[in-house]
Amino acid sequence: MSNNREENKMQKEVHIPEMESLDEINLDEIPKMTRGSQLKAVWKRFCRNRLAVVGLVIFSIILLTAIFAGVFVPYEKALEQNIAIRNQTSSAEHWLGTDNYGRDIFFRIIHGARYSLLTGMGAVAVGIICGGILGALAGFRGGLLDTIIMRCTDTLLCIPFMLLVLALVAALGTSLTNVLIALMLAMLPTYARVIRSAVLTVVDADYIEASRSCGAKIWRIIFKHVIPNAVGPIIVQATMTVGTMIIWAAGISFLGMGIQPPTPEWGAMLSEGKNFITTTPHLVLYPGLAIAITAFSLNLMGDGLRDALDPRLKD
Amino acid sequence: MIKYVIKRILIIIPMLVVVMFIIYSIMEMTPGEPARLILGTNASQEAVDQLTIELGYDRPFLVRYADYVVNAFTGDFGESWQTGRSVFQEVLIRFPTTIKLAVFAMALAVLIGIPLGILSAVKQYSVFDGVGTTFAMVMASVPSFWLAMMLIILFSVKLRLLPSFGTGSFAHYILPAVSMSCAEIAVLLRFTRTTMVEEIRQDYVRTARAKGQKENKVVFGHALPNALLPVITVTGTEFCGMLGGVVTIETVFSINGVGMLIYNSILQKDVPMVMGCAIFLTASVMLMMLVIDIVYAFIDPRIKARYTRAAKGGKASE
Amino acid sequence: MEDMTKKTVEDSTPILELDDLYVHYRSEGNIIKAVNGVSLKLGRRETIGLVGETGAGKTTTALAVMQLLPDATARIDRGDILYNGESLLRKSKGEMRAIRGALISMIFQDPMTALNPIKTVGAQIMESLTIHNYEHKSKAELEARVDELLELVGIKAIRRNEYPHQFSGGMKQRVLIAVALACQPQVLIADEPTTALDVTIQAQVLALIEELKEKLGTSVIMITHDLGIVAQTCDKVAVMYAGEIIEDGSVEDIFLGEHHHPYTVGLFNSIPKLDDESNRLHPIDGLMPDPANLPPGCPFSPRCHQCMEICTREHPAITYQKGSHRIKCHLFAGGEG
Repeated sequence: MSNNREENKMQKEVHIPEMESLDEINLDEIPKMTRGSQLKAVWKRFCRNRLAVVGLVIFSIILLTAIFAGVFVPYEKALEQNIAIRNQTSSAEHWLGTDNYGRDIFFRIIHGARYSLLTGMGAVAVGIICGGILGALAGFRGGLLDTIIMRCTDTLLCIPFMLLVLALVAALGTSLTNVLIALMLAMLPTYARVIRSAVLTVVDADYIEASRSCGAKIWRIIFKHVIPNAVGPIIVQATMTVGTMIIWAAGISFLGMGIQPPTPEWGAMLSEGKNFITTTPHLVLYPGLAIAITAFSLNLMGDGLRDALDPRLKD
Repeated sequence: MIKYVIKRILIIIPMLVVVMFIIYSIMEMTPGEPARLILGTNASQEAVDQLTIELGYDRPFLVRYADYVVNAFTGDFGESWQTGRSVFQEVLIRFPTTIKLAVFAMALAVLIGIPLGILSAVKQYSVFDGVGTTFAMVMASVPSFWLAMMLIILFSVKLRLLPSFGTGSFAHYILPAVSMSCAEIAVLLRFTRTTMVEEIRQDYVRTARAKGQKENKVVFGHALPNALLPVITVTGTEFCGMLGGVVTIETVFSINGVGMLIYNSILQKDVPMVMGCAIFLTASVMLMMLVIDIVYAFIDPRIKARYTRAAKGGKASE
Repeated sequence: MEDMTKKTVEDSTPILELDDLYVHYRSEGNIIKAVNGVSLKLGRRETIGLVGETGAGKTTTALAVMQLLPDATARIDRGDILYNGESLLRKSKGEMRAIRGALISMIFQDPMTALNPIKTVGAQIMESLTIHNYEHKSKAELEARVDELLELVGIKAIRRNEYPHQFSGGMKQRVLIAVALACQPQVLIADEPTTALDVTIQAQVLALIEELKEKLGTSVIMITHDLGIVAQTCDKVAVMYAGEIIEDGSVEDIFLGEHHHPYTVGLFNSIPKLDDESNRLHPIDGLMPDPANLPPGCPFSPRCHQCMEICTREHPAITYQKGSHRIKCHLFAGGEG
């Protein structure tokens, strides 16, 4: 009997999503939307997801902070040492306290946002471009080139991400550019695959066949059909990976193989603070929170974007 | 079926060769002469030249690489530039620790992430689902090495419940494994939820309902097994990511595993050791993927049939 | 519950009756009016053809009978579904489960996806039997029944341990029929059982359903948009448009009757005819109205060549009735149109 009741509860809670209920409605009936109204619809759906909007707001604040960091606090302030006030906890003067050299942690975090966002977004941007070219080549040319590129990306994917990055940074030396290159290389296979599959779905579509047989140039096809089709999944993927990249970049700096102290990079700050966690835990608490909050806002946004761009994927 | 397994094993070999090439090329970019690095700045030029020849560094890159590959397949990864000990031996000693840690963390991720993902999917749009997915999002946003330090502050420094470094007992593995598993819990939770939600929408689930089957048998008997198939693959790829993350976690907890070894070797520019560790970890990832592929082939009748039928001579059905 | 499972009382009440059924979906603030006042009577050993374009609400009607509508979005707003005179809407979930698959079965549209890919076909037929195994038959007896069912639908019993992907589309459809017929249901709802299949296999499947109907005495609701299938298999026909039955009657009424709803005329005209010299099809212009935004008058009025002023204003009731033949159209208001 109790078993029965449980089933009833289950049945109520297993919702079948709306798409199934719409299976009888002919999609062709929906009038074709223009690009502008499509964007508007995406934006409307995005706004309906409250968490995604929260993510967007948080991320915008962080982004603005990073861009105008120098306006709020001069960079020198973030480096200013004062042994007299070292390892202080939060106070009216130093909101998040001071570190082992008496530097203001809040100022350092504000300036650190620049490095984190720059590495995160930079790596993703370069990764998309390079991975995109490889993926598009593989998808369009097919054949042997496709096999070679895909086998190589398969193999790259087998090498643990962090190892690849560390090996690269170890060989190339520690600098912002090298961290960027390393992260980009590590991301290359993922983007190559995403873009290749996007290209393949489009290439197989009849209308491409049609425009090809009409003598359309390959670049025209790429710009008119492939990019508009691939842009959705790429934006979603990119938003999510910027967060991951920020975490990984911080990890590299944390190991002392990325951006070096005294640069106020979040990972480097964690690295400096890690020897004092028993005595002054706030040294590692705040930079880590900054990373987590940034990544969280990006993840919220990415989630919202995914649902907004493709309502069918909504899970 | 055996044919399939053999084929998959054989694919690993060229992949390993490529991996070695990638890692070898990357390490080749290390600035400075290897012999100079070993002997230090004070050594005489003659001694450096002598060692360069001894190490074989006077030969062209590709020859050295080929040599390295051949030796590697016989288990000879060269000697450490720092200690002169066999790289293979050094890695082998530390390997169990790292694997224990990774498996423990992965087990945690599987045991927590997958059930929560299933629950979130089954109770889609409920409060539980909301909490579950938000929890996953938070977990995905927290850097594991930072979480590790926070856990140390809480459980070792404040509560004095668990050790914060070393590998003496089971308790030593708890904090590192928990901090490593968090990101993986997030991945598995979200992925399981997605596949499960997709499966619940499938037509065959409706067929099962139309038979008059009880709802929990419909969900757990029909949808779940189908949903779990892709989850197996993702578990494998996540294991791969985890073996990379082991570097930071072992450093935070001072665990003397392969991650720690590779970290120290990078700092000391001990090229053979770095290569040995990287190749060892990558090879274990590949093995893991192989095992998963084979398990997959045994579980999924569609893949299984493709190979068994091929063995029977391609008997087509109807 | 037990006494209902095998009720073979021959009386004049229809085995299944839909009474003024309304099913609406709610989705993102829209109300999609999928089924709007459908009434149907299915007699014993009778086959009713439910005809109409994609999106006319045929499948929704079927799912409503099965009580398999997605409960997050769909709601039966009005009306009733009676099985043997008893309301299905008032049954508990447990009672409904005992009916589903045992007394009322359904064959779904797409055989490619309707079988669980990782269970053997034998196990999937077996499942139906074990769920409704009220006589506590032994496992061996049930196994024998699975073999019997497979043979019944024309599949060799030795193939019972094969997986769905090892079967072609037509064979999968046969397996699904075996699943649906496992417990000898009183009512079989076949939702476009042949649309996904090749023409030759279509004929085989239809012949199979026909044969089983004779053998088992099942009543059938045949959902289709193919008038050829209707002519071949059905006793009665109901033409659906935008969630309504706009014309119904016996097969003779629909195929040979003197008056028809303009939509039915359109449906017939869109079938190619051999003797038509113009060699052209005459499709119905326009599209089915958006079920979230139905026109105020007759739903067919925007596409109707004979549309009158009243049609856009007023929803037509049944205006023509001759024997079993009924039409909902303003053309026939006031006796003869």
